[in-house]
Amino acid sequence: MIVVPPMGRTLLDVNDLSMRFASGKVALDGVSLLVRGGEFVTILGSNGSGKSTLLRCVARLLHPTGGEIRVDDRDLTRLNGTALRRARRSVAMIFQHANLVRRRSVLANVATGSLGHHTNVWTSLGMLPDSELNHAQRYLAEVGLAHLAGQRAGTLSGGQAQRVAISRALAQRPKVLLADEPIASLDPHAAEEVMALLRRLATQEGLAVLCVLHQPELAERYSDRVVGIRAGRLAFDLPAAQVSGGQVAGLYNSLAA
Amino acid sequence: MNAVTNLALVPIPVARSPLRLLVRVLIGLALIGIFAQALWITDARPGELINGISGMIDILRRATPPAFEKFPSVFRPALETIDIAIVGTVCGVILAIPLAILAAANVTPAKPLYYGARAIIALTRAVPDLVWALLFVTAVGLGPFPGALAQSVHSVGMLGRLFAEVIEDMDMGPVEALSLTGASRTQVFTHAVIPGVLPSLLGISLYRLDENLRNSLVLGFVGAGGLGFQLLTAMNLFQYKTVSLLLIVTFLLVMAMERMSAALRRRVA
Repeated sequence: MIVVPPMGRTLLDVNDLSMRFASGKVALDGVSLLVRGGEFVTILGSNGSGKSTLLRCVARLLHPTGGEIRVDDRDLTRLNGTALRRARRSVAMIFQHANLVRRRSVLANVATGSLGHHTNVWTSLGMLPDSELNHAQRYLAEVGLAHLAGQRAGTLSGGQAQRVAISRALAQRPKVLLADEPIASLDPHAAEEVMALLRRLATQEGLAVLCVLHQPELAERYSDRVVGIRAGRLAFDLPAAQVSGGQVAGLYNSLAA
Repeated sequence: MNAVTNLALVPIPVARSPLRLLVRVLIGLALIGIFAQALWITDARPGELINGISGMIDILRRATPPAFEKFPSVFRPALETIDIAIVGTVCGVILAIPLAILAAANVTPAKPLYYGARAIIALTRAVPDLVWALLFVTAVGLGPFPGALAQSVHSVGMLGRLFAEVIEDMDMGPVEALSLTGASRTQVFTHAVIPGVLPSLLGISLYRLDENLRNSLVLGFVGAGGLGFQLLTAMNLFQYKTVSLLLIVTFLLVMAMERMSAALRRRVA
């Protein structure tokens, strides 16, 4: 049974977001949603519905063609260059694959999450501050992998690598955590571990977590709210317990679209 | 016998058409034709080769035993040969890395820089190191220095292209992940790109060192110092016993470098 604390203030405010690619394809069409501190929101939808595009827009890997993305009351869509780089520190992202530097140690991989907070010559030369290495050790302990700190990242299992990626995201000290199908390449046991960890971080660290999943049953168990996206539009945005099987089926049934 | 085994024993019909057979025969004839014209253009005369064997045996007879008493005088040219390869490779690597970054489509800062870097790489690669050595001998005179310069310039082209390919083929996942932490472009480069490609770059550089050692012998023939220059001088003076000594030293050097390079490449892999 997951204990959900009272929600904090709004940390992510997506307002009327649109994304039209150069090819003319409309990936997002007027999507709006709010995620508060401590809240875990899952996005469900079929392949090509616009879920990942939404996350990539929030991370500003893509520049949306319309709407606003406010992170802690700051509109990311208006930022570029150094201002955008600084703002990115508030938004961490984990991917389907952990995307670790395989030849570096687990500890160094975690500490690189903090690089945005250090713009000195030493970090530009490939070094990491001692203070951040100490913090990294703490973040690793938080995901239960402190004993692997000195190991090369390339030797980890999929589940361990994903937990290290989550530690790296924590080292970034973000307000919003985006997770793009974080359990897609994991076995059921590792998937449960990662989901439980993300849920716990939202609750304990007060993070606004926005997670793309393809597993409705996990979404229902771990999320506060579930957002359904179909053909780039918001199909529903409901508390997890109120989402019906028919609504979820509607997202994946092409005849219903 | 189960059904799967039975299926495995069923012969699969192969389509045989006369047209396909004709095409294969024509391709075979074309390849033979290409080889025949190559023999004709290169003026291949196997008869003369057979007649010349006695001359070669005579040279071999005059080259034995090798002039081992001259070994102390071979030490300095041998060291020169190694040092030409070291200077050529190190300078080549130093110059090739920034060029490769500009010439790798996935990390280049701007398209004009990409095309500029690609043009430099193509030019330095297209001109053989022997030609570069001739140019540098003209510019700075005889000795090992023009040899090292020639190898540096040629290595820039060879290494620049291979380095750029390694960077283009690297896993961009960690780069994207680090960019999203708010890290600067330089930080992303030093913390994600370099650790990702370093083993490959080291392996390629060691292989280049091995190649440069062998090439530096040839450069000596155009006055760029080292064992090659001594070899040419000894041949011109018909000192075949010295020639055989120099060839033995060359063989040992090349073998030693090959072994060392292979061992180091295995370690960094």
